[in-house]
Amino acid sequence: MKKWFSITLGIVTATGGFLDAGTVATSGEAGAKFGLGLIWAVLLATVAVILLVEMIGRFTALSQKTYADAIRENFGFKFYLLPLISGIIAESLLLAAEIGGIAIALSLFTGISWHYLFPVAALLVWILSWRAPFSLIENGPALLGLITLSFLVGIVVLGGPPRELLPTLWKPDIKQGELADYLFLVAAILGATISPYLLYFYSSGAREEKWSRDSLLLNRVTAIVGMSFGSLGSISLLVLGAIVLRPLNISSSTLGELGLAMAKPLGPLGAYLFAGALFATCLGAALEVMLGVSYNIAQGFGWEWGENKKPVEAARFNLVLTIILLVAVAIGLFGTDPLQLALLASTVIALFLPISLTPFLFIMNDPDYLGDHTNGRFANIAIICVLIIAFIVAVIALPLEILTGGG
Amino acid sequence: MWKNAGIALLLLVLLMMATGCQLTQPAFTRTVGNAGSAFAAAETTLSYAHEGKITYAYASSSFVNYQSELEGLDQSLPSLQGAPSKQTVQHLLDLYKPAIQAVDAPCLNQSCNWRAQVASLNRASKAFLEAGGS
Amino acid sequence: MAGQKDQLLVMHNIIDNQLETKDQCKIGRVADIEAELCDDGKLVLTNLVTGPQALATRISSRLRPVAEFLLRGRFEHHIPISEVKEIGPTLRLRGMAKDYSVGQSDRWIAEHILRWIPGNGR
Repeated sequence: MKKWFSITLGIVTATGGFLDAGTVATSGEAGAKFGLGLIWAVLLATVAVILLVEMIGRFTALSQKTYADAIRENFGFKFYLLPLISGIIAESLLLAAEIGGIAIALSLFTGISWHYLFPVAALLVWILSWRAPFSLIENGPALLGLITLSFLVGIVVLGGPPRELLPTLWKPDIKQGELADYLFLVAAILGATISPYLLYFYSSGAREEKWSRDSLLLNRVTAIVGMSFGSLGSISLLVLGAIVLRPLNISSSTLGELGLAMAKPLGPLGAYLFAGALFATCLGAALEVMLGVSYNIAQGFGWEWGENKKPVEAARFNLVLTIILLVAVAIGLFGTDPLQLALLASTVIALFLPISLTPFLFIMNDPDYLGDHTNGRFANIAIICVLIIAFIVAVIALPLEILTGGG
Repeated sequence: MWKNAGIALLLLVLLMMATGCQLTQPAFTRTVGNAGSAFAAAETTLSYAHEGKITYAYASSSFVNYQSELEGLDQSLPSLQGAPSKQTVQHLLDLYKPAIQAVDAPCLNQSCNWRAQVASLNRASKAFLEAGGS
Repeated sequence: MAGQKDQLLVMHNIIDNQLETKDQCKIGRVADIEAELCDDGKLVLTNLVTGPQALATRISSRLRPVAEFLLRGRFEHHIPISEVKEIGPTLRLRGMAKDYSVGQSDRWIAEHILRWIPGNGR
């Protein structure tokens, strides 16, 4: 029974990996600008991420090796440097954005400017990652993440999407000159959702949870339930943006604006539920990003690692953790709007997505690690499809970011 | 094989950037459209605060973000590529002034004239959105 | 006795693999290997090498003199192949963590850097 609490690993991976400052931002903007016309992108991203998460979970449970272990061992040190360095750059930017998101959430509660709350948010993230055991890191944000279910309540109170909005599902309303924005949001949604740090975190989490051969069903359920949960939250925000913000010509380019969409049906409670959800998802994401990078580095270099060890027992891992946070804080002190940082980070991630995901194709077919549980034909075709999507996203992300000025 | 793939990629990117003129809007239209949305958000936030739909604390923090979005627009607007006419730009700047005052110092209690602020935000947002092609 | 082909396969499978001691401590990854050409023409594995210097050389052989100049071999560690009990994605060593000098980094950082941060668990 206790093992099934591992589903919270899936929910927190979703709360932090799927839903974060970036996806909250892109979902809101997607709904506010294009009605229901980008739901397909969210669904596509969901399917891709479920596939990847299930696979890496299976890989780790069977081989007891994490994703970073597998990349270094199978592709050598030189290749390993590519996802490592691109990951460090992208995740430092993203971490700064997530801490900014926590600060904005706190500011919406307190009325204090988020610039002052930024160090508070950073300290909170550091304390949790420094001392909290993995179970707290898992269950805390996961429980808080349940707040995102309130978005559904908001939609119900609003009476659901009005009839005239429904056609935008298959025929998005793209005005003159808005095609680049539409395509940029497609790339941003895919890039913000299919993030490699999610995979490093989930596979390391599977080891922290001591998953084994017996955990395969659990892994599958966790991946599907967890990521679907995240997807539900993302789509709810999109629909809220479409119903409330679009008629008002509000484009949801700051995080607080999306809360207005919850305030309309549910009043101040609604706004605070949004702020609470923002807090939970950004906190979960900050921890996941930070740990994801640190896991990647520690595992890639073969050091001791683990959140269930005291800091001195895995000294280099914890030192790296702290340094990454300091780098993110330094970036954050420039005062850039977290939403813009998140979109920039998503673009960097999108650029390197093919490199970060190609190892999958090889390791999932390696009998040395997986015995007779290597990928079947369907799974391999699925990976290739995801890689093609990743390649397309990588090619269009940067030009679109430049053309649209970052959305 | 890699060389061909590289050339194809380069052509694709160049094509995208060349047709970028139709893919996206000129800088003026985009900036003005974004500003219009920001003013609309500020207007809604202020109204909601006084209608009791959000707390003053929530509104106050939201305005911090609107400020950073809208600050300095009066400096950058005249020089943006794609501006229609000097009159339009001047008209927008005239409406910008009272609106940005509302954004910088939003009336979040009962003692000041919040309705006037909502009105100026409304005028600014409508004008900017129209200039942005909405 | 393993044939020539098996020996080559073993070398490929050893580099970048995890080094784990008897007390289940992870002490790093194999960055490079040292081999000796015996009188009978066989290439025999003698040592496993870890450390940033060897890693730098893996990136590019041109970095070797730079790495040697900067690091002066202080962080390079050699582990005799006889210490390896089991070969696989994780190489299991015969000794405990304290028997190997390469395991010292964690201890050094714990003692000199982490001690200043509250809650480090010492």
